[in-house]
Amino acid sequence: MTSKQNLDDSPIDFAERIIGDVKNSKDEGVLKCVQCGMCTSTCPAARHSDYNPREIIERVLEGDTSILEDDLIWNCFYCYTCHSVCPVGNSVCEVNQILKQIAISNEIGYDKLYEYMGFADSYFTAAIGAIPEIFFEDIGRDVPGWWDFRNNLVDIREELELDPPLMPPKDVIDEVSLILTITGFKEKIEKIRASQEVEK
Amino acid sequence: MKSLPDKNILLFRSCLVSVEYPGVESSTKFVFDKLGIDYAISEKQTCCTGLGHYSDVFNQIDTSAIGARNFKIAKNLNRPNLVMMCATCYAINKKSVKLLNKKDDLRDHINQLFDENGLSHLKYEKDDLNPTENIFHVVDILYGKKDEIKKHIKYDLSEYKIATHHGCHYCKVHYEDTIAGFRDPNILDELVEACGCESIGWYDHKRATCGTGFRQRYSNPDLSFTATADKMNALGDEDVEILIHLCPNCHIQFDRYQHLISEREGRTFKAIHLNIAQFIALAMGGDFDKVIGVKAHTVPIDSVIKDLKEVDK
Repeated sequence: MTSKQNLDDSPIDFAERIIGDVKNSKDEGVLKCVQCGMCTSTCPAARHSDYNPREIIERVLEGDTSILEDDLIWNCFYCYTCHSVCPVGNSVCEVNQILKQIAISNEIGYDKLYEYMGFADSYFTAAIGAIPEIFFEDIGRDVPGWWDFRNNLVDIREELELDPPLMPPKDVIDEVSLILTITGFKEKIEKIRASQEVEK
Repeated sequence: MKSLPDKNILLFRSCLVSVEYPGVESSTKFVFDKLGIDYAISEKQTCCTGLGHYSDVFNQIDTSAIGARNFKIAKNLNRPNLVMMCATCYAINKKSVKLLNKKDDLRDHINQLFDENGLSHLKYEKDDLNPTENIFHVVDILYGKKDEIKKHIKYDLSEYKIATHHGCHYCKVHYEDTIAGFRDPNILDELVEACGCESIGWYDHKRATCGTGFRQRYSNPDLSFTATADKMNALGDEDVEILIHLCPNCHIQFDRYQHLISEREGRTFKAIHLNIAQFIALAMGGDFDKVIGVKAHTVPIDSVIKDLKEVDK
Protein backbone atom coordinates (compact mmCIF):
# COMPACT_ATOMS: atom_id res chain seq x y z
CA MET A 1 0.00 0.00 0.00
CA THR A 2 1.45 3.34 -1.01
CA SER A 3 1.69 5.88 1.78
CA LYS A 4 -0.37 8.86 0.75
CA GLN A 5 0.39 12.47 1.40
CA ASN A 6 -2.54 13.94 -0.44
CA LEU A 7 -2.97 17.64 -0.69
CA ASP A 8 -6.27 17.28 1.17
CA ASP A 9 -7.34 20.90 1.12
CA SER A 10 -7.08 21.30 -2.59
CA PRO A 11 -5.86 18.17 -4.42
CA ILE A 12 -6.26 19.89 -7.78
CA ASP A 13 -3.26 22.11 -6.95
CA PHE A 14 -0.89 19.31 -7.96
CA ALA A 15 -2.49 18.99 -11.40
CA GLU A 16 -2.57 22.78 -11.73
CA ARG A 17 1.16 22.92 -11.05
CA ILE A 18 1.74 20.44 -13.88
CA ILE A 19 -0.56 22.39 -16.20
CA GLY A 20 1.43 25.56 -15.44
CA ASP A 21 4.81 23.91 -16.07
CA VAL A 22 6.86 25.31 -18.94
CA LYS A 23 7.14 21.83 -20.47
CA ASN A 24 3.39 21.22 -20.63
CA SER A 25 2.15 21.36 -24.22
CA LYS A 26 -1.26 19.79 -23.60
CA ASP A 27 -3.06 22.72 -21.94
CA GLU A 28 -5.50 21.20 -19.42
CA GLY A 29 -5.21 17.67 -20.86
CA VAL A 30 -4.40 16.14 -17.49
CA LEU A 31 -7.79 17.28 -16.12
CA LYS A 32 -9.58 15.59 -19.01
CA CYS A 33 -8.28 12.12 -18.18
CA VAL A 34 -11.16 9.61 -18.04
CA GLN A 35 -8.97 6.80 -16.69
CA CYS A 36 -9.69 4.65 -19.75
CA GLY A 37 -6.28 2.96 -19.56
CA MET A 38 -5.34 3.25 -23.25
CA CYS A 39 -1.99 4.56 -22.05
CA THR A 40 -1.30 1.55 -19.85
CA SER A 41 -2.46 -0.95 -22.46
CA THR A 42 0.05 0.36 -25.03
CA CYS A 43 2.95 1.19 -22.68
CA PRO A 44 6.18 -0.85 -23.00
CA ALA A 45 7.15 -0.12 -19.39
CA ALA A 46 3.73 -1.28 -18.16
CA ARG A 47 4.07 -4.43 -20.28
CA HIS A 48 7.34 -5.38 -18.61
CA SER A 49 7.32 -3.73 -15.16
CA ASP A 50 4.95 -2.36 -12.49
CA TYR A 51 4.94 1.09 -14.12
CA ASN A 52 1.34 2.20 -14.71
CA PRO A 53 0.70 5.44 -16.62
CA ARG A 54 -3.04 5.44 -15.91
CA GLU A 55 -2.31 5.28 -12.21
CA ILE A 56 0.16 8.15 -12.49
CA ILE A 57 -2.62 10.45 -13.65
CA GLU A 58 -4.99 9.07 -10.99
CA ARG A 59 -2.44 9.90 -8.30
CA VAL A 60 -1.77 13.34 -9.75
CA LEU A 61 -5.49 14.12 -9.77
CA GLU A 62 -5.74 12.94 -6.16
CA GLY A 63 -2.93 15.31 -5.22
CA ASP A 64 -0.73 12.40 -4.16
CA THR A 65 2.68 14.09 -4.16
CA SER A 66 4.40 10.95 -2.84
CA ILE A 67 4.59 9.96 -6.51
CA LEU A 68 7.60 12.30 -6.81
CA GLU A 69 9.58 9.85 -4.67
CA ASP A 70 8.25 6.71 -6.32
CA ASP A 71 11.10 4.93 -8.13
CA LEU A 72 8.66 3.55 -10.69
CA ILE A 73 8.29 6.92 -12.44
CA TRP A 74 11.87 6.42 -13.65
CA ASN A 75 10.78 3.43 -15.79
CA CYS A 76 9.11 5.54 -18.50
CA PHE A 77 10.74 5.02 -21.93
CA TYR A 78 9.71 8.49 -23.15
CA CYS A 79 8.38 6.70 -26.25
CA TYR A 80 5.26 8.91 -26.36
CA THR A 81 3.06 5.94 -27.25
CA CYS A 82 0.57 6.97 -24.53
CA HIS A 83 0.75 10.55 -25.79
CA SER A 84 -0.08 9.43 -29.35
CA VAL A 85 -3.14 7.33 -28.44
CA CYS A 86 -4.79 9.32 -25.62
CA PRO A 87 -8.43 9.92 -26.63
CA VAL A 88 -8.70 13.18 -24.65
CA GLY A 89 -5.36 14.70 -25.66
CA ASN A 90 -3.50 14.15 -22.42
CA SER A 91 0.14 13.04 -22.33
CA VAL A 92 1.31 10.87 -19.43
CA CYS A 93 4.76 10.87 -21.01
CA GLU A 94 4.94 14.64 -20.69
CA VAL A 95 3.39 14.60 -17.20
CA ASN A 96 6.04 12.05 -16.22
CA GLN A 97 8.84 14.34 -17.44
CA ILE A 98 7.32 17.23 -15.50
CA LEU A 99 7.04 15.11 -12.35
CA LYS A 100 10.72 14.27 -12.63
CA GLN A 101 11.69 17.92 -13.08
CA ILE A 102 9.61 18.83 -10.01
CA ALA A 103 11.33 16.00 -8.12
CA ILE A 104 14.77 17.21 -9.22
CA SER A 105 13.96 20.78 -8.19
CA ASN A 106 13.19 19.30 -4.75
CA GLU A 107 16.56 17.50 -4.80
CA ILE A 108 14.91 14.11 -5.34
CA GLY A 109 16.45 11.66 -7.83
CA TYR A 110 19.97 13.09 -7.88
CA ASP A 111 21.28 9.51 -7.66
CA LYS A 112 19.35 8.73 -10.85
CA LEU A 113 20.97 11.65 -12.68
CA TYR A 114 24.50 11.11 -11.47
CA GLU A 115 25.41 8.46 -14.08
CA TYR A 116 24.31 10.86 -16.80
CA MET A 117 26.57 13.76 -15.83
CA GLY A 118 28.64 12.85 -18.90
CA PHE A 119 25.96 14.49 -21.05
CA ALA A 120 26.65 17.77 -19.28
CA ASP A 121 30.44 17.39 -19.38
CA SER A 122 30.55 16.66 -23.11
CA TYR A 123 28.39 19.71 -23.75
CA PHE A 124 30.87 21.99 -21.97
CA THR A 125 33.92 20.42 -23.65
CA ALA A 126 32.61 19.72 -27.17
CA ALA A 127 29.03 21.06 -27.44
CA ILE A 128 27.91 17.51 -28.15
CA GLY A 129 25.67 15.17 -26.20
CA ALA A 130 27.48 11.89 -26.82
CA ILE A 131 26.95 8.74 -24.76
CA PRO A 132 28.69 9.22 -21.37
CA GLU A 133 32.02 7.42 -21.08
CA ILE A 134 30.89 5.84 -17.82
CA PHE A 135 28.86 3.40 -19.97
CA PHE A 136 31.67 2.50 -22.38
CA GLU A 137 32.72 -0.56 -20.37
CA ASP A 138 29.17 -1.99 -20.56
CA ILE A 139 28.94 -1.24 -24.27
CA GLY A 140 32.35 -2.83 -24.91
CA ARG A 141 31.16 -5.96 -23.08
CA ASP A 142 27.77 -6.15 -24.81
CA VAL A 143 28.62 -5.11 -28.37
CA PRO A 144 31.07 -7.24 -30.35
CA GLY A 145 33.77 -5.15 -32.03
CA TRP A 146 32.64 -1.87 -30.49
CA TRP A 147 36.06 -0.77 -29.21
CA ASP A 148 37.62 -1.46 -32.61
CA PHE A 149 34.90 0.61 -34.22
CA ARG A 150 35.44 3.51 -31.80
CA ASN A 151 39.18 3.40 -32.41
CA ASN A 152 38.57 3.54 -36.17
CA LEU A 153 35.89 6.24 -36.06
CA VAL A 154 38.22 9.01 -37.28
CA ASP A 155 39.32 6.90 -40.27
CA ILE A 156 35.74 5.90 -41.07
CA ARG A 157 34.64 9.54 -41.00
CA GLU A 158 37.62 10.53 -43.16
CA GLU A 159 36.72 7.95 -45.80
CA LEU A 160 33.19 9.45 -45.88
CA GLU A 161 34.70 12.92 -46.42
CA LEU A 162 32.44 14.50 -43.83
CA ASP A 163 32.77 18.23 -43.51
CA PRO A 164 32.67 20.24 -41.28
CA PRO A 165 34.57 18.14 -38.72
CA LEU A 166 32.99 16.70 -35.60
CA MET A 167 34.41 19.25 -33.18
CA PRO A 168 32.90 22.73 -33.36
CA PRO A 169 35.17 25.80 -33.13
CA LYS A 170 36.15 27.11 -29.68
CA ASP A 171 33.98 30.23 -29.88
CA VAL A 172 30.95 28.01 -30.43
CA ILE A 173 31.76 25.84 -27.41
CA ASP A 174 32.32 28.99 -25.33
CA GLU A 175 28.96 30.43 -26.39
CA VAL A 176 26.94 27.33 -25.51
CA SER A 177 28.87 26.94 -22.26
CA LEU A 178 27.85 30.48 -21.37
CA ILE A 179 24.21 29.72 -22.23
CA LEU A 180 24.24 26.66 -19.99
CA THR A 181 25.76 28.71 -17.20
CA ILE A 182 23.19 31.52 -17.29
CA THR A 183 20.22 29.14 -17.41
CA GLY A 184 21.39 27.69 -14.09
CA PHE A 185 22.29 24.35 -15.68
CA LYS A 186 25.94 24.41 -14.64
CA GLU A 187 25.12 25.18 -11.02
CA LYS A 188 22.57 22.36 -10.92
CA ILE A 189 25.10 19.88 -12.33
CA GLU A 190 27.70 20.90 -9.77
CA LYS A 191 25.13 20.50 -6.98
CA ILE A 192 24.11 17.02 -8.17
CA ARG A 193 27.71 15.94 -8.51
CA ALA A 194 28.69 17.31 -5.08
CA SER A 195 25.73 15.60 -3.38
CA GLN A 196 26.61 12.20 -4.81
CA GLU A 197 30.34 12.47 -4.29
CA VAL A 198 29.87 13.41 -0.63
CA GLU A 199 27.65 10.35 -0.14
CA LYS A 200 30.38 8.15 -1.55
CA MET B 1 -0.38 17.74 -46.19
CA LYS B 2 2.18 20.33 -45.11
CA SER B 3 4.32 21.82 -47.86
CA LEU B 4 7.73 20.19 -48.14
CA PRO B 5 10.70 22.43 -48.97
CA ASP B 6 13.59 21.51 -51.27
CA LYS B 7 15.65 24.63 -50.66
CA ASN B 8 16.87 26.95 -47.90
CA ILE B 9 17.60 23.87 -45.82
CA LEU B 10 19.96 23.64 -42.87
CA LEU B 11 20.82 19.96 -42.55
CA PHE B 12 20.98 19.63 -38.76
CA ARG B 13 23.89 17.53 -37.58
CA SER B 14 23.21 14.84 -35.00
CA CYS B 15 25.69 13.71 -32.34
CA LEU B 16 24.58 10.07 -32.58
CA VAL B 17 24.85 10.08 -36.36
CA SER B 18 28.29 11.73 -36.10
CA VAL B 19 29.82 9.23 -33.70
CA GLU B 20 27.82 6.05 -34.29
CA TYR B 21 26.62 5.94 -37.91
CA PRO B 22 28.39 8.73 -39.83
CA GLY B 23 27.29 6.98 -43.04
CA VAL B 24 23.79 8.31 -42.39
CA GLU B 25 25.12 11.85 -42.89
CA SER B 26 27.14 11.00 -46.02
CA SER B 27 24.20 9.01 -47.45
CA THR B 28 21.78 11.87 -46.79
CA LYS B 29 24.13 14.28 -48.58
CA PHE B 30 24.56 11.81 -51.48
CA VAL B 31 20.80 11.41 -51.93
CA PHE B 32 20.06 15.14 -51.48
CA ASP B 33 22.70 15.93 -54.14
CA LYS B 34 21.13 13.45 -56.57
CA LEU B 35 17.72 15.01 -55.96
CA GLY B 36 18.95 18.58 -56.37
CA ILE B 37 18.00 19.63 -52.86
CA ASP B 38 19.55 22.91 -51.70
CA TYR B 39 21.07 22.41 -48.24
CA ALA B 40 24.04 23.38 -46.10
CA ILE B 41 25.60 22.20 -42.87
CA SER B 42 26.87 24.72 -40.34
CA GLU B 43 29.83 24.21 -38.01
CA LYS B 44 28.14 26.67 -35.65
CA GLN B 45 25.11 24.46 -35.02
CA THR B 46 25.39 22.35 -31.88
CA CYS B 47 23.69 19.30 -30.43
CA CYS B 48 19.97 19.62 -29.62
CA THR B 49 20.61 18.34 -26.03
CA GLY B 50 18.12 15.53 -26.69
CA LEU B 51 19.90 12.59 -25.09
CA GLY B 52 20.59 14.61 -21.96
CA HIS B 53 17.09 16.09 -22.06
CA TYR B 54 15.39 12.71 -22.18
CA SER B 55 17.70 11.50 -19.42
CA ASP B 56 16.24 14.36 -17.34
CA VAL B 57 19.59 16.17 -17.04
CA PHE B 58 18.64 19.17 -19.20
CA ASN B 59 15.39 20.94 -18.31
CA GLN B 60 13.15 22.70 -20.82
CA ILE B 61 14.77 26.12 -20.32
CA ASP B 62 18.27 24.73 -20.97
CA THR B 63 17.09 22.89 -24.08
CA SER B 64 15.02 25.76 -25.50
CA ALA B 65 17.85 28.28 -24.91
CA ILE B 66 20.23 26.04 -26.88
CA GLY B 67 17.44 25.64 -29.45
CA ALA B 68 16.99 29.41 -29.76
CA ARG B 69 20.70 29.73 -30.59
CA ASN B 70 20.49 27.05 -33.29
CA PHE B 71 17.31 28.59 -34.73
CA LYS B 72 19.05 31.96 -34.98
CA ILE B 73 21.98 30.37 -36.85
CA ALA B 74 19.51 28.90 -39.36
CA LYS B 75 17.73 32.25 -39.80
CA ASN B 76 21.00 34.14 -40.24
CA LEU B 77 22.09 31.74 -42.97
CA ASN B 78 18.74 32.28 -44.66
CA ARG B 79 18.13 28.59 -44.18
CA PRO B 80 15.06 28.60 -41.94
CA ASN B 81 14.13 25.01 -42.86
CA LEU B 82 15.80 22.80 -40.27
CA VAL B 83 16.02 19.20 -41.47
CA MET B 84 16.96 16.57 -38.92
CA MET B 85 18.67 13.19 -39.47
CA CYS B 86 17.73 12.11 -35.95
CA ALA B 87 14.19 11.67 -34.62
CA THR B 88 15.23 12.95 -31.19
CA CYS B 89 16.56 16.22 -32.67
CA TYR B 90 13.32 16.48 -34.65
CA ALA B 91 11.03 16.12 -31.62
CA ILE B 92 13.20 18.30 -29.38
CA ASN B 93 13.51 21.18 -31.85
CA LYS B 94 9.87 21.12 -32.92
CA LYS B 95 8.80 21.29 -29.29
CA SER B 96 11.13 24.19 -28.57
CA VAL B 97 9.77 26.17 -31.52
CA LYS B 98 6.20 25.48 -30.38
CA LEU B 99 6.92 26.53 -26.80
CA LEU B 100 8.98 29.60 -27.74
CA ASN B 101 6.13 30.81 -29.96
CA LYS B 102 3.31 30.03 -27.56
CA LYS B 103 4.74 30.68 -24.09
CA ASP B 104 5.59 34.35 -23.69
CA ASP B 105 7.07 33.74 -20.22
CA LEU B 106 9.56 31.18 -21.51
CA ARG B 107 10.58 33.31 -24.50
CA ASP B 108 10.90 36.46 -22.40
CA HIS B 109 12.93 34.66 -19.75
CA ILE B 110 15.42 33.23 -22.26
CA ASN B 111 15.68 36.53 -24.16
CA GLN B 112 16.30 38.39 -20.91
CA LEU B 113 19.10 35.98 -20.01
CA PHE B 114 20.59 36.57 -23.47
CA ASP B 115 20.27 40.36 -23.08
CA GLU B 116 21.91 40.41 -19.67
CA ASN B 117 24.87 38.31 -20.76
CA GLY B 118 25.99 39.80 -24.04
CA LEU B 119 24.05 37.31 -26.17
CA SER B 120 21.36 39.64 -27.56
CA HIS B 121 22.21 38.44 -31.07
CA LEU B 122 20.61 35.10 -30.17
CA LYS B 123 17.20 36.41 -29.09
CA TYR B 124 14.19 34.53 -30.43
CA GLU B 125 11.23 36.62 -31.60
CA LYS B 126 7.74 35.14 -31.52
CA ASP B 127 7.05 33.19 -34.75
CA ASP B 128 10.65 33.46 -35.99
CA LEU B 129 10.09 29.88 -37.06
CA ASN B 130 6.91 27.86 -37.57
CA PRO B 131 6.96 24.36 -36.06
CA THR B 132 5.07 22.81 -39.00
CA GLU B 133 6.54 24.84 -41.86
CA ASN B 134 10.19 24.96 -40.75
CA ILE B 135 11.00 21.86 -38.69
CA PHE B 136 11.40 18.61 -40.65
CA HIS B 137 12.95 15.18 -40.59
CA VAL B 138 14.97 14.01 -43.62
CA VAL B 139 12.15 11.53 -44.37
CA ASP B 140 9.75 14.44 -44.95
CA ILE B 141 12.05 15.96 -47.57
CA LEU B 142 12.59 12.59 -49.24
CA TYR B 143 8.84 12.02 -49.27
CA GLY B 144 8.40 15.27 -51.18
CA LYS B 145 10.77 13.84 -53.84
CA LYS B 146 9.35 10.32 -54.03
CA ASP B 147 8.77 10.45 -57.77
CA GLU B 148 12.22 11.94 -58.38
CA ILE B 149 13.87 9.15 -56.31
CA LYS B 150 12.42 6.55 -58.72
CA LYS B 151 14.39 8.09 -61.61
CA HIS B 152 17.77 7.57 -59.89
CA ILE B 153 17.52 3.92 -58.84
CA LYS B 154 20.49 1.89 -60.09
CA TYR B 155 20.29 -1.36 -58.11
CA ASP B 156 17.38 -3.75 -57.65
CA LEU B 157 16.96 -4.59 -53.94
CA SER B 158 13.47 -6.06 -54.36
CA GLU B 159 14.51 -9.65 -53.66
CA TYR B 160 15.17 -8.92 -49.98
CA LYS B 161 12.60 -9.21 -47.19
CA ILE B 162 12.34 -5.62 -45.98
CA ALA B 163 10.52 -4.24 -42.94
CA THR B 164 10.41 -0.72 -41.52
CA HIS B 165 10.85 0.56 -37.97
CA HIS B 166 9.45 4.05 -37.51
CA GLY B 167 10.19 4.36 -33.81
CA CYS B 168 8.69 7.08 -31.68
CA HIS B 169 10.04 10.61 -31.88
CA TYR B 170 9.22 11.23 -35.52
CA CYS B 171 5.78 9.60 -35.48
CA LYS B 172 4.30 9.91 -32.02
CA VAL B 173 5.40 13.20 -30.44
CA HIS B 174 4.16 15.78 -32.95
CA TYR B 175 1.72 13.43 -34.63
CA GLU B 176 -0.24 16.26 -36.25
CA ASP B 177 2.77 16.79 -38.55
CA THR B 178 3.58 13.11 -39.23
CA ILE B 179 3.28 12.13 -42.89
CA ALA B 180 1.71 8.79 -43.93
CA GLY B 181 0.31 7.76 -40.56
CA PHE B 182 1.32 7.57 -36.91
CA ARG B 183 -0.98 4.77 -35.65
CA ASP B 184 -0.19 2.75 -38.76
CA PRO B 185 3.08 4.43 -39.78
CA ASN B 186 4.00 4.04 -43.44
CA ILE B 187 6.30 6.84 -44.55
CA LEU B 188 9.31 4.50 -44.64
CA ASP B 189 7.30 1.81 -46.47
CA GLU B 190 6.37 4.35 -49.12
CA LEU B 191 10.01 5.44 -49.51
CA VAL B 192 11.11 1.79 -49.83
CA GLU B 193 8.46 1.46 -52.53
CA ALA B 194 9.96 4.47 -54.35
CA CYS B 195 13.15 2.38 -54.65
CA GLY B 196 11.24 -0.32 -56.53
CA CYS B 197 10.87 -2.61 -53.49
CA GLU B 198 7.95 -3.81 -51.45
CA SER B 199 8.13 -3.90 -47.65
CA ILE B 200 6.28 -6.52 -45.61
CA GLY B 201 3.97 -3.74 -44.37
CA TRP B 202 2.35 -4.26 -40.97
CA TYR B 203 3.85 -6.73 -38.49
CA ASP B 204 3.29 -7.36 -34.81
CA HIS B 205 4.70 -4.46 -32.72
CA LYS B 206 5.33 -2.38 -35.88
CA ARG B 207 4.67 0.91 -34.10
CA ALA B 208 6.39 -0.09 -30.86
CA THR B 209 9.50 1.54 -29.40
CA CYS B 210 12.93 0.09 -30.16
CA GLY B 211 13.30 -0.31 -26.41
CA THR B 212 16.15 2.14 -25.91
CA GLY B 213 14.05 4.30 -23.61
CA PHE B 214 17.02 6.66 -23.18
CA ARG B 215 18.08 5.97 -19.55
CA GLN B 216 16.47 2.50 -19.64
CA ARG B 217 19.19 1.01 -21.85
CA TYR B 218 21.94 1.92 -19.39
CA SER B 219 20.23 2.07 -16.00
CA ASN B 220 17.57 -0.58 -16.57
CA PRO B 221 19.00 -2.86 -19.28
CA ASP B 222 16.70 -5.81 -18.59
CA LEU B 223 13.61 -3.67 -19.09
CA SER B 224 15.12 -2.11 -22.20
CA PHE B 225 16.24 -5.33 -23.89
CA THR B 226 13.00 -7.13 -23.03
CA ALA B 227 11.08 -4.45 -24.92
CA THR B 228 13.53 -4.72 -27.84
CA ALA B 229 13.10 -8.50 -27.87
CA ASP B 230 9.32 -8.10 -28.40
CA LYS B 231 10.05 -6.40 -31.65
CA MET B 232 13.06 -8.45 -32.70
CA ASN B 233 11.06 -11.67 -32.22
CA ALA B 234 8.24 -10.27 -34.37
CA LEU B 235 10.77 -9.38 -37.10
CA GLY B 236 12.41 -12.79 -36.75
CA ASP B 237 9.02 -14.49 -37.20
CA GLU B 238 8.70 -12.63 -40.51
CA ASP B 239 12.24 -13.64 -41.64
CA VAL B 240 13.15 -10.00 -42.16
CA GLU B 241 16.53 -9.44 -43.82
CA ILE B 242 16.69 -5.63 -43.91
CA LEU B 243 15.17 -3.36 -41.26
CA ILE B 244 14.85 0.27 -42.31
CA HIS B 245 15.34 2.97 -39.67
CA LEU B 246 14.93 6.74 -39.40
CA CYS B 247 16.49 7.29 -35.97
CA PRO B 248 20.11 6.65 -34.94
CA ASN B 249 19.07 5.75 -31.39
CA CYS B 250 16.83 2.91 -32.67
CA HIS B 251 19.60 2.00 -35.11
CA ILE B 252 22.04 1.50 -32.21
CA GLN B 253 19.53 -0.53 -30.22
CA PHE B 254 18.95 -3.00 -33.06
CA ASP B 255 22.31 -3.13 -34.81
CA ARG B 256 24.63 -2.97 -31.80
CA TYR B 257 22.57 -5.23 -29.53
CA GLN B 258 21.16 -7.79 -31.99
CA HIS B 259 23.85 -10.27 -30.97
CA LEU B 260 23.10 -9.83 -27.24
CA ILE B 261 19.35 -10.18 -27.76
CA SER B 262 19.90 -13.27 -29.92
CA GLU B 263 21.72 -14.84 -26.97
CA ARG B 264 19.02 -13.77 -24.50
CA GLU B 265 16.23 -15.14 -26.69
CA GLY B 266 18.09 -18.25 -27.82
CA ARG B 267 17.47 -17.69 -31.51
CA THR B 268 19.39 -16.17 -34.40
CA PHE B 269 18.32 -12.83 -35.83
CA LYS B 270 19.78 -12.13 -39.23
CA ALA B 271 18.50 -8.66 -40.16
CA ILE B 272 20.88 -5.91 -41.18
CA HIS B 273 20.01 -2.35 -40.20
CA LEU B 274 20.02 0.58 -42.58
CA ASN B 275 18.80 4.12 -42.22
CA ILE B 276 16.36 5.04 -45.02
CA ALA B 277 18.95 7.49 -46.44
CA GLN B 278 21.54 4.69 -46.54
CA PHE B 279 19.02 2.36 -48.21
CA ILE B 280 18.14 4.90 -50.89
CA ALA B 281 21.82 5.83 -51.38
CA LEU B 282 22.64 2.15 -51.81
CA ALA B 283 19.83 1.73 -54.35
CA MET B 284 21.16 4.81 -56.17
CA GLY B 285 24.65 3.30 -56.43
CA GLY B 286 26.42 4.81 -53.40
CA ASP B 287 29.72 3.15 -52.49
CA PHE B 288 29.65 0.87 -49.40
CA ASP B 289 32.67 2.50 -47.76
CA LYS B 290 32.69 6.02 -49.18
CA VAL B 291 28.95 6.76 -48.92
CA ILE B 292 27.03 4.16 -46.91
CA GLY B 293 29.67 3.88 -44.20
CA VAL B 294 29.20 0.15 -43.63
CA LYS B 295 32.32 -0.11 -41.44
CA ALA B 296 30.39 1.57 -38.62
CA HIS B 297 27.81 -1.23 -38.52
CA THR B 298 27.95 -4.09 -36.05
CA VAL B 299 25.81 -6.53 -38.08
CA PRO B 300 27.82 -6.70 -41.33
CA ILE B 301 25.89 -5.35 -44.29
CA ASP B 302 27.43 -8.00 -46.55
CA SER B 303 25.96 -10.74 -44.36
CA VAL B 304 22.74 -10.07 -46.29
CA ILE B 305 23.63 -7.95 -49.34
CA LYS B 306 26.31 -10.03 -51.06
CA ASP B 307 26.11 -8.64 -54.54
CA LEU B 308 24.14 -5.97 -56.33
CA LYS B 309 22.04 -6.45 -59.42
CA GLU B 310 21.34 -3.49 -61.69
CA VAL B 311 17.72 -2.69 -62.43
CA ASP B 312 16.34 -3.49 -65.87
CA LYS B 313 16.01 -0.19 -67.68
